[in-house]
Amino acid sequence: MLIWFLPLFLLFLLIGLPVFFGLLAAPGLLLWMNGQEKDITLLYRNVYNGMDSFPLMAIPFFMLAGELMNKGGITIRLVQFSQALMGHLRGGLAQVNVLSSILFAGLSGSAVADTSALGSMLIPAMEKEGYTRRFAAAITAASSVIGPIIPPSGIMIIYAYVMGESVAALFLAGIVPGIMVGVGLMVMIRVTADRYDLPAAKKVEFDGVELGNLEKWVSFLLVRLNIGLLIWVIAPLPDTSGLMTWATFLGSVAVAHALMLALRTQVSAEFRTVCKRAIVPLQTPVLILGGILGGVFTPTEAAAVAVAYALFVAFFILRTMSLRDLPDILSRAGLTSAVVLLLVGAAMAFKTVVSLSYAPQILADYILTLSENPLILLFLINLLLFIVGMFLDAGPAIIILGPILAPIFTDLGVDSIHFAIIMSVNLTVGLATPPMGLVLFVAAAVSKEKVETIAKAILPFLAVEIAVIFLITYVPAISMTIPRLTGFAN
Amino acid sequence: MGLLLTVLAPLSAVNAFMLRIGRGVGIVAIAFMVAAILIQVVARYLFNNALPWPDEAARFCMLWMTGLMAPTAFRRGGFVALDMISGFMSSRVAAVLSLVLLLISILILFVAVQIGFKEVTGFGGRFATASLYLPTFDGWFRVPRSWMMLSLFVGVVLLLVVNIELILRSLIQMMGGGDRLPDLDLPEDMQGAE
Repeated sequence: MLIWFLPLFLLFLLIGLPVFFGLLAAPGLLLWMNGQEKDITLLYRNVYNGMDSFPLMAIPFFMLAGELMNKGGITIRLVQFSQALMGHLRGGLAQVNVLSSILFAGLSGSAVADTSALGSMLIPAMEKEGYTRRFAAAITAASSVIGPIIPPSGIMIIYAYVMGESVAALFLAGIVPGIMVGVGLMVMIRVTADRYDLPAAKKVEFDGVELGNLEKWVSFLLVRLNIGLLIWVIAPLPDTSGLMTWATFLGSVAVAHALMLALRTQVSAEFRTVCKRAIVPLQTPVLILGGILGGVFTPTEAAAVAVAYALFVAFFILRTMSLRDLPDILSRAGLTSAVVLLLVGAAMAFKTVVSLSYAPQILADYILTLSENPLILLFLINLLLFIVGMFLDAGPAIIILGPILAPIFTDLGVDSIHFAIIMSVNLTVGLATPPMGLVLFVAAAVSKEKVETIAKAILPFLAVEIAVIFLITYVPAISMTIPRLTGFAN
Repeated sequence: MGLLLTVLAPLSAVNAFMLRIGRGVGIVAIAFMVAAILIQVVARYLFNNALPWPDEAARFCMLWMTGLMAPTAFRRGGFVALDMISGFMSSRVAAVLSLVLLLISILILFVAVQIGFKEVTGFGGRFATASLYLPTFDGWFRVPRSWMMLSLFVGVVLLLVVNIELILRSLIQMMGGGDRLPDLDLPEDMQGAE
């Protein structure tokens, strides 16, 4: 009888019951009808135990870091940096929009934050340059889905926690797929340039771009330290200890400095200033991933360090924030994460009933009657996820479907991290699919364009994203190579 | 409708007041969470001391942040739900459906409050936390686990009270008194989105 919790849950969901209540009502009702009232107490306990988790703390921290960075005025710096790199191409601002999303993704794990922050700046600028408003809104919405794919990513933290995977492995597995979505969108912009009559290539001018004294020195040091560290890690240096280790490291920093001096002559002073202004914000993903990969921090600690760094940047380097802004930022981050945490708690309770009901086994038997070929089954599951993504946000969808689908596919021999990425990318793309794609609504609000119009204009970009989903699905190396190389996956 | 409005006005004011306090405490809690984890990192790398308490203290704060802030999100319509079907319905049927959903929610919350109370006052709550101590005049007092468990109970109670308010609002709306409803204390960027 317990297996009926799934259709009952779907019914609750369809009539509009909040997912949190649905996750508890469906199993609770059936437990009660089954005469298992005592197990309802277990549901409550699992909600509490599900929320009482150290890894889960990364969610409010990453949300807070994203809010701080955004409020601190880093968006304009990232956009200008993207403009310096790609603004001179045909359809330059559209390309800039995508590149900014890739860069922004390293700071914030949210597609909605990406759409509202970049959209409010780039959509009016694109319209001024001669792009149609619907095109500008569509590319903003389409590129914003990169946010939760490239680390840090809120939905990957949720997936990792609910399914007991490594957050670091999922973060690393998301890097290449995220960049692939971005590159795919850039190619599509170039291919459709004639059809959309995109503005011709032109030189980008930056007037009045300045750099504070402290920021100048901080960016000077950060660039050399980062490149020096990279050289030091990848160069085939002999094993050393003590002073010699420091000497080789300082040598690598000196090489990085020489490299920078050589590059300095190749570019204009304005270009250099724009790049330097982007270094401080772009240090955030380096700090997060470097810290996790280097074994210095756990993902939760990395998230807290990212918050501290964002505070330092906003208060002391950029000086764009005052203490008065803090309560509002903390409140926003707290409210959003409270809802997510409660949902994750309910998901853990739901997961218990999923296992008690043998739903994955029963569903697996049914799915295997459709086909025993994992490739066909993966195609079907992508179809299912895509349809679910059209109606439900990625986070709740992962919470609901993860415990049911993941065990089936891992039993079929699909790597659990690979499946996590398929699911995350697919459901994230769902954020930009009509009729219920959340970022479509945000893009509509920012651009004052109708959702239906944006939904039509976004179709070519969605086609690219669907193609990437299938590439990720059938070429596991795309997502698995980095986690394997770094020892986070087998 | 007059009676409903009379009941709603003070309830709405009490909710707005309690949730504002909840948000305030939640803000402090999230700030403390960050501070605790940073202290943990600094102590580990600078003082070679793996402190046991920051982990548990940060979780303590996270649980209270969730319990105190989620009701505000619920009141502002921030709980994720599919509202597709109501879009196809006439406004009257949609209002009835919305009321039915709120009634289902209140049933769940009512059961949760009962279980929550038993949990906090029961056997599990009598254990002490692993590493949280408070200074008192008589020495160090070990924080009981029930203080942590209380966070979800308080959250559920607040959700229940908010749910009652939302049911009253829904009933008044169905009776055509939507324009006489008190404000929901929404932030500036959410005004009009109700």
